[in-house]
Amino acid sequence: MNLRNIQNTIVLGILSFLLNIAPADAQEKFFRAIGTPHKPEVQVSWNRYYTYEGMVDIMEKIAKAHPDLAKMESIGKSYEGRDIYVLTISDFNTGNPNKKPAMYIDGNIHSNEIQGTEFSLYTAWYLTEMYDELDFIKQLLEDKTFYINPSINPDARNDYMNKPNTPHSPRSGMIVLDNDGDGEAGEDGFDDINKDNHITMMVRKSPTGRYIKDPRDDRKLIRVEAEEKGEYEMLGYEGIDTDDDGEVNEDGIGYYDPNRDWGWKWQPDYIQRGAYKYPFSLPENRAVMEFVMKHPNIAGAQSYHNYGGMILRGPGAEEDAETYNREDVQIYDAIAKKGEEMIPGYRYLVVYKDLYSVFGGELDWFYGGRGIYTYSNELMVSYLYFHENQGRGNQDEELKVDRYLTFGDAFVDWQEYDHPQYGKIEIGGFKKNFGRAHPGFLLEQDAHRNMAFTIYHAYHTPKLSITEVKEKNLGNGLREVTATIYNERLMPTHSSQDLKYNIERPDYVSISGSNVVAGMLVNDEDFNKVEEQEVNPEIIKVENIPGMETVKVRWIISGGRNYSIKVDSAKGGVAEWES
Amino acid sequence: MNLKLRCLMLLSIFYVFNSYAQQDYPTNRQVEQRLKQMAASGNAKLISLTKTEGGQDIWALQLGKGDMENKPAIAITGGVEGYHLLSVELALKVSEKILEEHSEILEETTFYVFPNMSPDAYAQYFSNMKYERRGNSVKVDQDRDGEISEDPYEDLNNDGWISSLRVESPMGNHVPHQSDARVLVKADETSKRDENRYMVYSEGIDNDKDKKFNEDPEEGIAFNKSLTYKFPYFQPYAGDFPVSQRESRALLDYLFERWNIFAFVTFGPANNLSTPLKYNKSEAEKRVVTSMLEKDVKLNEMISEIYKETIPQKAYNQDNQGTNGDFFQWAYFHFGRLSFSTPGWWVPEVKEEKAENAAKTDSVSEGKIKPSPETNFLAWAEKKGLNDVFLSWTEVNHPDFPNQKVEVGGLKPFVMVNPPYEMTDSIASNHTNFIIKLAEMQPKLELHNLKTEELGGGLTRITVDLFNNSSLPTHSELGEKSRWLQKLQIRFSKDKKDILVGNIIKLVDKLEAYEKQRLSWIVKGGGTATLRIGAPHTGFATMNIKL
Repeated sequence: MNLRNIQNTIVLGILSFLLNIAPADAQEKFFRAIGTPHKPEVQVSWNRYYTYEGMVDIMEKIAKAHPDLAKMESIGKSYEGRDIYVLTISDFNTGNPNKKPAMYIDGNIHSNEIQGTEFSLYTAWYLTEMYDELDFIKQLLEDKTFYINPSINPDARNDYMNKPNTPHSPRSGMIVLDNDGDGEAGEDGFDDINKDNHITMMVRKSPTGRYIKDPRDDRKLIRVEAEEKGEYEMLGYEGIDTDDDGEVNEDGIGYYDPNRDWGWKWQPDYIQRGAYKYPFSLPENRAVMEFVMKHPNIAGAQSYHNYGGMILRGPGAEEDAETYNREDVQIYDAIAKKGEEMIPGYRYLVVYKDLYSVFGGELDWFYGGRGIYTYSNELMVSYLYFHENQGRGNQDEELKVDRYLTFGDAFVDWQEYDHPQYGKIEIGGFKKNFGRAHPGFLLEQDAHRNMAFTIYHAYHTPKLSITEVKEKNLGNGLREVTATIYNERLMPTHSSQDLKYNIERPDYVSISGSNVVAGMLVNDEDFNKVEEQEVNPEIIKVENIPGMETVKVRWIISGGRNYSIKVDSAKGGVAEWES
Repeated sequence: MNLKLRCLMLLSIFYVFNSYAQQDYPTNRQVEQRLKQMAASGNAKLISLTKTEGGQDIWALQLGKGDMENKPAIAITGGVEGYHLLSVELALKVSEKILEEHSEILEETTFYVFPNMSPDAYAQYFSNMKYERRGNSVKVDQDRDGEISEDPYEDLNNDGWISSLRVESPMGNHVPHQSDARVLVKADETSKRDENRYMVYSEGIDNDKDKKFNEDPEEGIAFNKSLTYKFPYFQPYAGDFPVSQRESRALLDYLFERWNIFAFVTFGPANNLSTPLKYNKSEAEKRVVTSMLEKDVKLNEMISEIYKETIPQKAYNQDNQGTNGDFFQWAYFHFGRLSFSTPGWWVPEVKEEKAENAAKTDSVSEGKIKPSPETNFLAWAEKKGLNDVFLSWTEVNHPDFPNQKVEVGGLKPFVMVNPPYEMTDSIASNHTNFIIKLAEMQPKLELHNLKTEELGGGLTRITVDLFNNSSLPTHSELGEKSRWLQKLQIRFSKDKKDILVGNIIKLVDKLEAYEKQRLSWIVKGGGTATLRIGAPHTGFATMNIKL
């Protein structure tokens, strides 16, 4: 038990004495489950979703309960003026968190892809609650920093939850654009005809309809054979032609895609549908970009989407294939293949090859523009239902889920309504919070597993130490000092993308406390292959410290018996050695 | 009389005098004064879009009358490069001439003028260390070595100019030009090495001892290298990602709200008016389009012909048809508008007269000695009697070359792209004429041949022809794909229940040059109906119809 725990225990003891509760006599109500904070200081239910206000509340509670481990700050405002909050999670007593190798996590860039927020919050909660309980987590937070940004689309998160939507809307943020080119913006969005806060489907009885209701399950419409007569026609999502142009729901919120707005190989809307004006022209993304630019210690990043059970890496666009070279792909592969084992049902894929070829994605900017190893996880996979691989949007499987697991909670039964343009119609179908979003009972497990993947990722950001300092007397009052710097994790201090463009400054290995006559990089100690640095030899510039490898530097010095050596790397952190 | 008033009076006398007898390109302050004078004239409005890091305003001057935002507009931009003083002057003078001499055009056309997009860099010309600067005042690590501005220029001979440095050295790769020994050119490495050879650098010291001179000066991002089209990632003056600067964001945000702009005229180094851009089928058909589309090349050719008819000067050394991250290509490729660029002026080709120096002239004219742009410029300057264009080579001591002969000199910065100030008026007149011609070609929607037929039972069939009376289409081929141009909206105002055939609103993608389209409705009942057709960048045609 460390000092902090002892203190806490004493405080609790005094408190319970004062409150006249004898702890020894109390009936123990809980028995510890492995893997989960047992008696967390912040109580959170991980089987439901949180609006922006609920999210902020949890973040505030975490920051308040763990002032030495968590700090909350606003990094900017959304379009509608909401603060975008980041939790910095690290052991604040073991160095400046902005100098430690860091992992950045965000969620909810697509406003309807909500659970990234809860997964991010779970991560912050788990790390802070487990710090005192697990040596591994304690060490992790001593070495590393997590920047956790649960929702980077807070306006439209609330719109998705509080306003009528489909499972797929808004996806954008709340800027309203003219989608049909008629000079008016957002004049014809969805209409919640049955007032249930879900936009479901409209069907109509029609002699020329090509569908019938399945006689064995009337929730389902099935297509009839070519020679058969049907009973229903499909009319699309709930809506009315509000602007009398003969189209229904053609111009609602958005449309633009916040994940086509990032500054690596960005392309305009006519090439990449969904792009806005120019990179970071959306205020939410701009806030993230500015945060990342100010935090060069971010070495790994994770963005949460839904759905389909994927661990994705770039390139997003086929045209960008050459950006990802072999050295970096090896690191991506090593981490993500472990992830596949940790998150059953999830597959490690490449965006442009396995999903679609797109420009301007967040993960592309993090990697292409900043050299940060980044994944996007598509959360929720139907494998979690019955451990079968039925794929995305398998209607039969989903109907089965709602019959046997959620007992009708996921489906709006067909009911008749009068539509001002279509006349008598029926409205029904799956609710917006089914399919893409986890049902409550699957949420916590998947949050934990995805968090575990990000912890593994964070663990393998560089960890530097000065493992050996050798001294040799050269006579004439001169000594030769050779220092070995070891990076004991998978990631280098500079990804090969970083090295290609000199994105981040070199690592500095410096000596102080003695007079430096010459300084050099030792490429091969055995055969004395060295590279002298003539200018400013006290600070040797090292372009990279590869993962699981060492780098050696050497100085010839005079005077000064008590010298110290320091390695200072933007992404690798700081390590020191003293004689 | 109080002091303030006296100052004001003195100032106003100074300004009147000054604008009357301007001898040189205007300072940022003088630019502001001229803009404010225009804004006071009635048909112009001036706003500041933002302030740069250097504290300079980015001005937008709107010229127009009435419902300005619903008339087709031309955007005129100067100062896309900070060293291109002429471009700022042209943007100002063209605006002044439109207001003073062509104000009738404002009935039909709106102009948005952005006279100087690089005021931080532009100010360098007026400083005591003049050089051709591109970057703004933001602090940038141009050579990406982790240190900012560690290797700036130094004015070694204290003459107020940053020119060139030549170091006599057998290892040099420059030699004097055969027709004008003041000018150094790249040596032909296949020829003998018996001439004097030089290493050539920009004027300064290698402060960080990396063998590169002035590679990280005290300047930031260049406007014309930092836009989204073919953005040169991580290159000097471009930065880490496109549109990173306040001034570029402010301009683009403003433009994205100006739906009525149909064309851009940019005064900058690129030229697609003397020679139109070429069509490259395979580049045009890729997902990422990097060739102007075929129909748009035809439009470029047409406008280019008009430019050449209007501007007397023959093209010479006009081979810049766009550079990565520049503005003029952005306006077409990423904003979908017709986009034209010209430097406004260039050094004309000088054919030497035979009489002067027969031996030299013969070899030049026979093509043995090729003039370089610099020798051509010096020949032109001589003809023009301009004798203050070359800084003669003067020896200096240089710490990086302790035992070598080092000289500072060369062509004066700015002179090759900025003509003597007194030439700017006629250049501006010609370019005003060109811009007026372009404005007169703008898409023009007209309604003709209205017919109302009684069909009996209170029904009327209305037919009318919609006609684009212009040699330009309403949408360029690329503009048709862009969400940032509106479609043509046909709005028929009549109660929906009274319309039996036809729509209240119908969208049309495009009308070609001189294309017509027949429109018809059948309506019930009497009264009137109003037809309004168009989009902001084509203007609107309206008609009241009696039933």
